[in-house]
Amino acid sequence: MAARLLYCAAAVSALAVLAILAFLVYFSLPLFQGDQLAALFSWHWRPLQNEFGILPMIAASLALAVSSMLVAYPLALGVCCFAHGLGPDWAARPLLVAVRLMSSVPTVVYGLVAAFSLVPLIRGASSGSGLCWLAALLTLAVLALPTIVLLLDNQFQRLESEIRLTAAALGLTRVQEMLQLTLPLSSRGLVMAAILGFGRALGDTLVPLMLAGNAPQPPLSLLDPMRTLTAHIALVVATDSQSAAYNSLFACGLILFLLTVLVNLGLRRIRTGATAHG
Amino acid sequence: MKAAIRVEKLSVSFAGKHVIRHLSLEIASGGPTFLVGRSGSGKTTLLRALNRLNECLPGCATSGQVELRLGEQWVDAYAATTNVENLRRRVGMVFQSPNVLPLSILRNIEMPLKVALSLPADEAEARAEQALREVHLWDEVKDRLSQAASTLSGGQQQRLCLARTLALRPQILLLDEPTASLDFKAAQRIEDLLLELKSRYTLLVVSHSLGQARRIAESLFVLHDGERIEALSKDVFQDRDALFSVMDELI
Repeated sequence: MAARLLYCAAAVSALAVLAILAFLVYFSLPLFQGDQLAALFSWHWRPLQNEFGILPMIAASLALAVSSMLVAYPLALGVCCFAHGLGPDWAARPLLVAVRLMSSVPTVVYGLVAAFSLVPLIRGASSGSGLCWLAALLTLAVLALPTIVLLLDNQFQRLESEIRLTAAALGLTRVQEMLQLTLPLSSRGLVMAAILGFGRALGDTLVPLMLAGNAPQPPLSLLDPMRTLTAHIALVVATDSQSAAYNSLFACGLILFLLTVLVNLGLRRIRTGATAHG
Repeated sequence: MKAAIRVEKLSVSFAGKHVIRHLSLEIASGGPTFLVGRSGSGKTTLLRALNRLNECLPGCATSGQVELRLGEQWVDAYAATTNVENLRRRVGMVFQSPNVLPLSILRNIEMPLKVALSLPADEAEARAEQALREVHLWDEVKDRLSQAASTLSGGQQQRLCLARTLALRPQILLLDEPTASLDFKAAQRIEDLLLELKSRYTLLVVSHSLGQARRIAESLFVLHDGERIEALSKDVFQDRDALFSVMDELI
């Protein structure tokens, strides 16, 4: 009975994902025909001139997610290594408690705090408004950090319960244990944390909407404003519901969906390759 | 027989609850010295107090003195100047369940040698082979050294753990019920090995098996509730009836 319920739950989840994909494909299909496609995959978003290019948004989404992960992931790994033996025991517990607390803070609070602290700082140091790639990147890194830390912490804890006494009995220091055993044996958890952290950064809407400036242009400088796919969808939905611009949102949704799937598949492939050669 | 381990007024507690209280004993070099007692009497805690492994467990507090003869020197295990990692390498430990690391057979032995002792690869490999021969495992695994250690049988894994400890060239070997999770035949092999090793190492074995103690122990201690420890003379513990009547009295 329990097994049947679990099968049902799994089937409903899989069907929901497939239904979302089918919905997005169905509504965006007309856009992939004829002239519309060229208009869609252009660098210009000028709805009044019938130009609905979403390439700047795709580039901005990828650039923001990758750059925020470049900041958040090493930081999260450092926090976990510190809390699991590289730092003093008295500091480890409060640090993890603080990170757990960070994960329960609503995204909008991060956005608000950054808008009133980080953005004026950037504005003061540069010539722009301060609403730019850099402001969104740093805030998103702080936002994604707890997700990555908690996943890695969970993985490290599980592994350490298996190897801690053995490693100590063999005369390994905590640092040696971390570098020679915990990290190499956590490769799966490291990859999963990267996937989920990237997914979190790619899918976040509020932070780029509030802090990135929302100019539909290619991300060429950290101090330039940018508009991500998620912020784009939120902005257009809020102001429009009839035009061809509105229809282009389905393509944005589809691309966002496919990007997430591709990242998942790609990283899984890397992981499988690592296992095969390991 | 000269002493190898001296314990004075040792107390160990976890989260304020005493497991061992004011315990004193002296263990001779060589052996095997067996430590028996009821479950929960503090045998494992006493063993782990000797190489300070209890410190890896949360809420542990230790007081008293543990002195170990390492080479020609007496080392105070709990002195501030004692390097705990070095101490654990020289006072090796084999656990009740085979605790192979999730690495290959060879890496299980080589990794601690390369990392903890900084040995070059060729020397680590030579030592690994020597240790595997010492525990009579070499012929069984020489063609599958790169396979996961978890693919070995329970008895083979326990011998691998023993080889891994021996490769670090300890002076004292602590064995915590090393045959408890093994079948009769695998347990017999470990017992034979202990008899071979006793001339080169000081062996302290925690065991639940009085039969095993009778067969191979040179001296025997009975631990009672972490507070009282009795040394039994060899003529007592080798006489089955005398041993059982004393054990009834003690525990």
